[in-house]
Amino acid sequence: MNTKEPIIRMENIVKVFPNVVANDGINFEIYPNEVHALLGENGAGKTTLMNILYGLYKPDSGNIYIYGKKVNIKNPLYAQKFGIGMVHQHFSLIPYFNVLENISIGLNELKINLNLEKVKKKLEEIMKKYGLLVDPEKRIEEMSVGEMQRVEILKLLFRGANVLILDEPTSALTPQEVDELFRSIRDLVKEGKSVVIITHKLYEVFQISDRITVLRKGKVTYKGLTSETTQEALVEAMIGKSVSFNDFSREQIKVEGSLRVEGLTLYGKGNVPIIKDVTFELKRGEILGIAAVAGNGEKELIDIIFGLIKQNSGKIILDGKEIQNKPVKNRIEMGLSFIPAERLTRGVAAGLALYYNSILHDHWSEPYIKHSIINEQEMRNFARKIIKSFEVVAKSEEVLAKQLSGGNLQKFIVGREMLRSSKYILAVNPTSGLDVSATQMVRQALVNMRNSGVGILLSSEDLDELVSVSDRIIVMYKGQIVGSFERHEFDKIKIGALMLGKNA
Amino acid sequence: MNVALIILIIETILIGMIPRAMPIFASALGETVDQSAGILNLGVEGIMLMGAITALLVDFFYHNPVLAFLVAGFVGLIFGAIHGILVISMKLDQTVIGTAIWFVGWGLSGVLYAATFGLSSSPPTVPTLPHIYIPYLTNIPFFGRFIFGEDPLVYILIGALIAVDYFLNHTKQGLNLRTVGHDPRVAEIMGVNPYLYRYAAVLFGGFMAGIGGAYITLGIVGSFYFDITAGMGFIAVALVYFGKWKPYRVFVGTLIFGAVYVFYFMMEDLYPKIPYEFYQMLPYIVTLIMILVIGTRAKPPASLAIPYIKGE
Ligand SMILES: Nc1ncnc2c1ncn2[C@@H]1O[C@H](COP(=O)(O)OP(=O)(O)O)[C@@H](O)[C@H]1O
Ligand SMILES: [Mg+2]
Repeated sequence: MNTKEPIIRMENIVKVFPNVVANDGINFEIYPNEVHALLGENGAGKTTLMNILYGLYKPDSGNIYIYGKKVNIKNPLYAQKFGIGMVHQHFSLIPYFNVLENISIGLNELKINLNLEKVKKKLEEIMKKYGLLVDPEKRIEEMSVGEMQRVEILKLLFRGANVLILDEPTSALTPQEVDELFRSIRDLVKEGKSVVIITHKLYEVFQISDRITVLRKGKVTYKGLTSETTQEALVEAMIGKSVSFNDFSREQIKVEGSLRVEGLTLYGKGNVPIIKDVTFELKRGEILGIAAVAGNGEKELIDIIFGLIKQNSGKIILDGKEIQNKPVKNRIEMGLSFIPAERLTRGVAAGLALYYNSILHDHWSEPYIKHSIINEQEMRNFARKIIKSFEVVAKSEEVLAKQLSGGNLQKFIVGREMLRSSKYILAVNPTSGLDVSATQMVRQALVNMRNSGVGILLSSEDLDELVSVSDRIIVMYKGQIVGSFERHEFDKIKIGALMLGKNA
Repeated sequence: MNVALIILIIETILIGMIPRAMPIFASALGETVDQSAGILNLGVEGIMLMGAITALLVDFFYHNPVLAFLVAGFVGLIFGAIHGILVISMKLDQTVIGTAIWFVGWGLSGVLYAATFGLSSSPPTVPTLPHIYIPYLTNIPFFGRFIFGEDPLVYILIGALIAVDYFLNHTKQGLNLRTVGHDPRVAEIMGVNPYLYRYAAVLFGGFMAGIGGAYITLGIVGSFYFDITAGMGFIAVALVYFGKWKPYRVFVGTLIFGAVYVFYFMMEDLYPKIPYEFYQMLPYIVTLIMILVIGTRAKPPASLAIPYIKGE
């Protein structure tokens, strides 16, 4: 196997986005007749790398070779010409069109006349050859996710794809559909195709792949044959092993009160549970970390506690009072604060000045409002205080929220929630997109709040962050709590494995 | 009422509704293509006004209706191009820009008129389009004039209807264009350039609105006055919803509008006691009801009025 020549070789690929180096000198090879798993945590740069190969992004530097010949893939049409096809995580299908119409979009072999009969004939041959069956006249909006995926793969085969890239293909499938998909992938490889499967699920890699490349923060951290690797090696490559306890000074103070969640359950579409029977308690003066790979119910959990979505069952008890049926405003008045992940859309009113944004969660209360009259001076004072204590780079409190850079906006929001007198803070990825010093400042602020008796529920995609500031960490996987660690038990490898659905 | 009168009323409506429907239909056909590609052009009213004044000026000075239509279409195309630059390339809000285009067309057409003819009390006139006369066929009672006796542009527009419907539903390029309207990201991934199709659509939409406006001066009124379109551009936009982005349905919608319009003229003669404004209101109210009944269930192209920003 090792002596094979790669069909495609990506060499030293660099791609920089405004805030992040998504690909930092990546080498990646695709071999004939193989399933190659591209593994890595969210944000590792997997999709970016494959989008470059598919001609959607232009790399800042690096080369791509196909059969040893250097090529320039300017757009997806070129990729198609080179036999490369990609199924994106968000399907590229028009729900309103049927299968034949979807396949015919931009199809080169049709000149002007939209001859769907001709398309149908060829499609039926392909369906037979690969055992991928769908109803050609069926509209996409009437299909299951599994069917849609088949349409996507058929679309690529129709255009003569030789290398099929599937971006997190299993994320929305039922277990049976996953089995079916994997069977199809094996059939494709038998018929001479190569498949790249992007995933962050470890067990899938062992089920389906021949070869593995692991990315972490834009760099390749592992490369090898599946048969020659171990789960431990992969986890370490994905998460990194440097357990850098960034010690903040912690003081224990005694404050009464807790935020309890009991048997919280939420169902999604088709009665699929998103959150299943979640129970935990957050004490004041404690940071409780939630470790989860995005999409395992951690986002919904926070939204439910703040009152943005309604649970199907379960209780939320704040300082002894049940609040699960109370509106958001009541919960805020009872001392709850929220630092959302989507800062520009949910954290601020983007088009308003900072001083208006400074009282978003207090716009009904004194000293900002007295007898229904706005006290602008108080608002300005508070905004200035946030700007000063959190080193927000802004000319004045009159700057509009949307004019701040991402990092500064986040500092402003974090500062606002921390300086208003709250008892509990729900924080989601509070340092994402911040530079090193800002990150350090926010983490320090979280710990200071904790030391002063605030309870903090911290959901973060950054395991290093959770480990460095939390007193306790609970791990969520597929909507359930699958593990709980006290500070002295923190072990990133163990936590990471649980996050990926692997039994530790 | 006797049978003869009813037949006469129907015949009058049939004959009268076509010219009333045509300016709206031309514009609505362009707007259908616009919206199918995901562009909402609320400025149709303004572009129609520009088409109307342009056609009058050209025909008044050059006595050439064909040239007048072409120049009016070209002015519409220019407005479409401006709209395109603002909403496709610069990605500005389509509602705001559409409203701005309306205002510009509204003001500019008035200025052009006043600057050329002054605010005289006797407006300039041009001859309206001649109607076709085919011996025997046009003389067939009841529907002879309705089918065989229209002016040439009516037949051209019906040709355009057939062509646009064929284009949208039976050509690859039409499918690509509709894809751009539903999801430009998908279009791009499938190797279709969304910007190209959107520009093509706004140019066509602008051209047709220019023709629609020209038809008011050259096909119906034979003159121009301020705000001559009287909301027809907005009706055109509304009827695209009524027609659920299907050209033939849009055509039927404009015919209904035309029929109600003629009906109100007749009723005005029959019952002159009811205020004139009530009759004038009628076609608009009927359109509103049509849209309330049918249009609310219509599903617009999924990316209508949403700018496409690459890589997002
Ligand atoms: N179009 C974009 N603009 C700006 N940043 C982006 C863009 N696409 C991805 N990124 C950033 O690049 C990094 C890698 O993203 P991605 O390749 O999607 O990761 P993965 O697929 O491994 O989860 C992330 O930090 C992400 O926020
Ligand atoms: Mg991804």
